[in-house]
Amino acid sequence: MRKLFALVQRELLAYFSSPLAYVVLTAFLFINGYVFYLIVAFLNDPRTQAMAPLKLLFGGTIFFWLYLLFVVPVITMRLLAEERRTGTLEVLLTSPVSEGQVVAGKFIAAFVFYLFLWLPTWVYVWILASNAKIDFGPVWAGYLGIALLGLLFLSVGLLTSALVRNQIIAAILAFAVLVIVFSLGLVENLASGAAVKGALGYMNLWNHMDDFAKGIVDTRHIVYNLSLTGLFLFLATKALEASKGR
Amino acid sequence: MIEVEGLTKRFVDRDAVSDVSFFVPEGEVLGFLGPNGAGKTTTMRMITGFLPATAGKIRVAGLDVERDPLGVRARIGYLPENVALYPEMRVEEYLRFRAAVEGIPRGEVKARVDEACDRCMVGDVRRQLAGTLSKGYRQRVGLAAALIHKPPVLILDEPTVGLDPRQIVKIRELITELGREHTVILSTHILPEVEQVCRRVLIIDGGKLVADGTPEQLRSGFSGAAEINVELEAPEAEARAALEVLPGASNVRNEGSGRFRLAVDGGADLRREVFKLAVAKGWVLLGMAQTVPSLEDVFLRLTTHDAEVGQEAQLEEVASA
Repeated sequence: MRKLFALVQRELLAYFSSPLAYVVLTAFLFINGYVFYLIVAFLNDPRTQAMAPLKLLFGGTIFFWLYLLFVVPVITMRLLAEERRTGTLEVLLTSPVSEGQVVAGKFIAAFVFYLFLWLPTWVYVWILASNAKIDFGPVWAGYLGIALLGLLFLSVGLLTSALVRNQIIAAILAFAVLVIVFSLGLVENLASGAAVKGALGYMNLWNHMDDFAKGIVDTRHIVYNLSLTGLFLFLATKALEASKGR
Repeated sequence: MIEVEGLTKRFVDRDAVSDVSFFVPEGEVLGFLGPNGAGKTTTMRMITGFLPATAGKIRVAGLDVERDPLGVRARIGYLPENVALYPEMRVEEYLRFRAAVEGIPRGEVKARVDEACDRCMVGDVRRQLAGTLSKGYRQRVGLAAALIHKPPVLILDEPTVGLDPRQIVKIRELITELGREHTVILSTHILPEVEQVCRRVLIIDGGKLVADGTPEQLRSGFSGAAEINVELEAPEAEARAALEVLPGASNVRNEGSGRFRLAVDGGADLRREVFKLAVAKGWVLLGMAQTVPSLEDVFLRLTTHDAEVGQEAQLEEVASA
């Protein structure tokens, strides 16, 4: 446990001592701020029907998805690829920590960083709460959805970072896989058979987020995200074991 | 302490290491010699478990590398050939991190870091970012990290590369000192280093073990390598003929102005015979010296025959690194 903690701590130090963290954070806040402004302007229009404003912020716009699809590979690309390139992986994997612990440590650190990115968005919640009465149930559910989505996306990024030694290639691969994972569910409406439609619907991340943002915590969505996360982390561990010494 | 049996590593089209076996008893400092690409690093990586072996068995402190990789890793301190540190960490932070990863109790970490810094002479850069260190300091920080948990086995891949001569002396002293409490495997190209530090030497070439013994054994087991240089005032043709018929002498060369060089078979000492010959013939003996084969001669003799293979291997090693 102490070893895992040391790994997480080192990884967080690496995040916050690189300019990347601040660039990502700034871009993130800029985009989210712009989206928040659009949402408020849109809802202020008297023709708009009443709805929960944060529902739009949490996955209701394409900005949210575009940004997540881009930013998660950037967060994860360095994790293992860089260690392999510089050779620090050799030292790490000849220390008494297992490959699983290394993967877990990196994953936890990336997730902490991801949550840190979302932390400032509570300002929007505070702004809305101080001007109107808002229901905090859907807010918490929305953040839960964001956290689950983060787990899934980050695990994909960590896997691709375990496969290659070049960060950029790791990021591009992660982006490609994430686009597939994300768009699987979107073709739901194109499918004909009920079974196929149902299966694709189960994988529709946009709908998942929509439900969470409405305040619906559906255990099916949670199971879907967590099981895929587990699968990708398992594959990352195996990839790391198989590629040692290369 | 370390048992290696029939160790083989096959890369796609060639054997980087083939059927290497050796045993290192506790407390021995073993020198691992070989030209570039001979398989030194590959062998060391297999012992640490970083590289899986194609065939063969490795046991460290009685533990099988394949069955109990974590147990083996905990007992080894490893300094890789290219010492890689995290550039964004300070030296002290890095050593603390390594101590934690090695499972040193929290209360002891500070003492261990202090001790390692002292031993490896990196106390003056403790607060410096690892990314800004010179090669010599990086090397020593890597060494400090490798011995922070006082492992029974130390594996050092070319530990003195990139150090200045004064640091090299210090590090060699340190390794000799470490050899009293640890079992050490040390790879190097530098032959005097091996003679100073190591009690036993393995020479590996083209992935095969070609010699195993103490430096003295290797030298003496090498028949026909001793040579005598003689300087005589004598008729050259006659002197040459007389030297050639001395028992054990061969390959007599006249190097001009009365200097002769003759090889001696079987490690015999022919100096007495040469002296008596000169006296009997009434020649004046101006000088005579016997050269014993150095470890370098042994090394070159054992490893030059297929230098091309070595170069190829080196290229591949670079490509795969």
